Amino acid sequence: MKLFLQHRSIALRLIAAVLAVELLSSILVVVLSFGYERHIHFRAFDVALRGRADSVLGAVQDADDPGDNVMLDQADLHVPPEDVFEVFELDGRLLGRSSNWQGAGPGVPEHPWGDFSQTILNGHHYRVLRMQGSRTVDPGIHGGKLHQIVVVYGSPTHHIWHVIRSAVQFYAAGSLLLLVVTGPLIAWLLHRGLLPLRQLAALATEVSVDAWQFSPPASARATPELAPLTQALESVLQRLERSFLQQRAFVSDAAHELKTAVAVVKSSLQLLSMKRRTAREYEEGLERCLADSLRLEALVADMLNLARAESATAASGPQASADLAACIGQAVAQLATVATLREVQVRVAPPHEDAEQETTPVQVPVAPEDCTLLLTNLLLNALQHSPAASTVEVQLTVEAGQNPPAALLRIQDQGHGIDPAALPFVFDRFYRGDPSRTRTTGGTGLGLAVSKAIVQKAGGTIAIASQPDPALPNQGTTVTVRLPIAG
Amino acid sequence: MRVLLVEDEVRLADNLAAALRDGPGFAVDWAEDGLAGDDLACNRCYDLIVLDLMLPRLDGLSLLKRLRGRRDATPVLILTAKDGADSIIQLLNAGADDYLAKPFDLGELIARAKALIRRGKGAAHPTLTVLGLTVNTLEQTVVRNGALVELSPTEYRVLEYLIHRPRVIVSKRELLEHLYDYNWEHHSNVIEVHVSNLRKKLDAVLPEADPIIETMRGRGYRLAPSLPAEREPEFETAVPSVTPEQGR
Repeated sequence: MKLFLQHRSIALRLIAAVLAVELLSSILVVVLSFGYERHIHFRAFDVALRGRADSVLGAVQDADDPGDNVMLDQADLHVPPEDVFEVFELDGRLLGRSSNWQGAGPGVPEHPWGDFSQTILNGHHYRVLRMQGSRTVDPGIHGGKLHQIVVVYGSPTHHIWHVIRSAVQFYAAGSLLLLVVTGPLIAWLLHRGLLPLRQLAALATEVSVDAWQFSPPASARATPELAPLTQALESVLQRLERSFLQQRAFVSDAAHELKTAVAVVKSSLQLLSMKRRTAREYEEGLERCLADSLRLEALVADMLNLARAESATAASGPQASADLAACIGQAVAQLATVATLREVQVRVAPPHEDAEQETTPVQVPVAPEDCTLLLTNLLLNALQHSPAASTVEVQLTVEAGQNPPAALLRIQDQGHGIDPAALPFVFDRFYRGDPSRTRTTGGTGLGLAVSKAIVQKAGGTIAIASQPDPALPNQGTTVTVRLPIAG
Repeated sequence: MRVLLVEDEVRLADNLAAALRDGPGFAVDWAEDGLAGDDLACNRCYDLIVLDLMLPRLDGLSLLKRLRGRRDATPVLILTAKDGADSIIQLLNAGADDYLAKPFDLGELIARAKALIRRGKGAAHPTLTVLGLTVNTLEQTVVRNGALVELSPTEYRVLEYLIHRPRVIVSKRELLEHLYDYNWEHHSNVIEVHVSNLRKKLDAVLPEADPIIETMRGRGYRLAPSLPAEREPEFETAVPSVTPEQGR
């Protein structure tokens, strides 16, 4: 039963509970009414019994004999025919008894107001009253003689029981009828009462990836029990929709970027084959095609890096760590040619004023290839936004005072800075602050997004600060990366 | 013919411009963002606009709507990387004439560009004939009275433009605008030399006839002077007047 209730609907459970309570209360009503009816009827019965016994006592008269004896005169005694009685004197002498009874025998009641007892006579239950009374014979002559009389009077109880049984049966039948009627009524009321829930469910099932509109019904909003669920559903759906749309936007942007890159390669090749060309033209064309393919390759590589950095956020494999200081060295070496081409100087500042401890390893919980990628991305970004003959500063400090200790990496260029309006979006995928400019510099629009994913995966933070000021053209942009130190 | 190319991807724009110049010999102007493209389109000297959708500053769809909003009927070919019928329906309803999905085929792009220019000028077939003068715009060949006429690329382009507008007086300025892109120094006497050479070559095939290109002094040039007796009815319908866009 318990299992049944656990796996059934709320409505069924409520109906079952209400019916069980109703059944219990009707049983209680029957029991109480039985007790009450029995009490009431037997009290009336006892009063009647006492009255009849009194009238029997009244029928005890002077026997008109010299011994001042008494006798029972049954001639004027009118009692129901099935009733039984007998009358004794206190000394046990029988004065008389009803014709339909052998008698219970003499005896004195223990209580002054009489004893009640049960007995079975002729197959019927009788209630018998034994009471004591007194009778004075000839009081006028010499004070009379006081006779102590014991009256035993019995009357069958089956009438009473019949009445009680009928009353209890009436209550029981009424309760049962109520139970039968209220069952469907409760079911109907519950059905109506749960309408807001069903409406909410119906609306919620209509939500799909193509139709995010979810306007909960007013009935669900107005129901205090459903309001939290409705609000939770709404906010969950809004968050889901937002992330879904972001994802879709990314896929759409990625498709656009990839298709454009492929279109470039394809059109370069087709342009080359449109007509017969000289060997030199072919050579130049092939070089352009190769450059286009390299851009496509870089785009695909960045997209894969981003996917890897973002997907592995939850899955924490064997904790890899890399030496941030060494990665800086590698990245600077890798980009030395770019720096030379752009005539930008890269200066790696020592962590402290005393420059002797220049190569202290700083272990951060980032995979070595990711660490190098992070550094090259940030450094390349700084180089690409630096004017000729400027300096890019790279500084790594260890904040030992922090708990846990953190590595602080600052890369500062002296470029023209970033437009404040564009600043909040620079970590977005495929965002280009100045599209025409960065397209020509060959960025994929993913570098900062990849960097952010790598830093976040390691539990660090990345921030970018820039205050473009026409008066101070070399303020530049500062990227600050804070990474926890491993171990 | 002069084409406006609005495309933010530099390498793709380079390739498209080169293909349109090398293949059909169009003059090509390039705008690298939507606003620059809109400025250039305001000159109304283009026979076709090739428009990328995702553009900085002003996206392709908005540019298209601005264009049609000022009743500019220049044919527009959209380059799109978006999939889905919805965006295509939206584009065509906004007044685009055709579209190509990236990555596209250069040959197809050129063919569609030619077809749009042709349609924009009211011609259905790539071969145009006026008074026994036939210009095949696919092969870029000119035949008069059965004889092949050899023309220089510029002479051919002048003739191609004129034959799309038979019996209409075309000013020197209009010819300049539609044959050269912005990188060219505008000198009207360059046109005079080319038209003169063209006329000589065409008339050499049929020396006894009237000159096929009339010079209207101070006004411009006219191909096939209207001669009621020789009128060919097909050109009445071929004269461009209203493009479908204006009927919207």
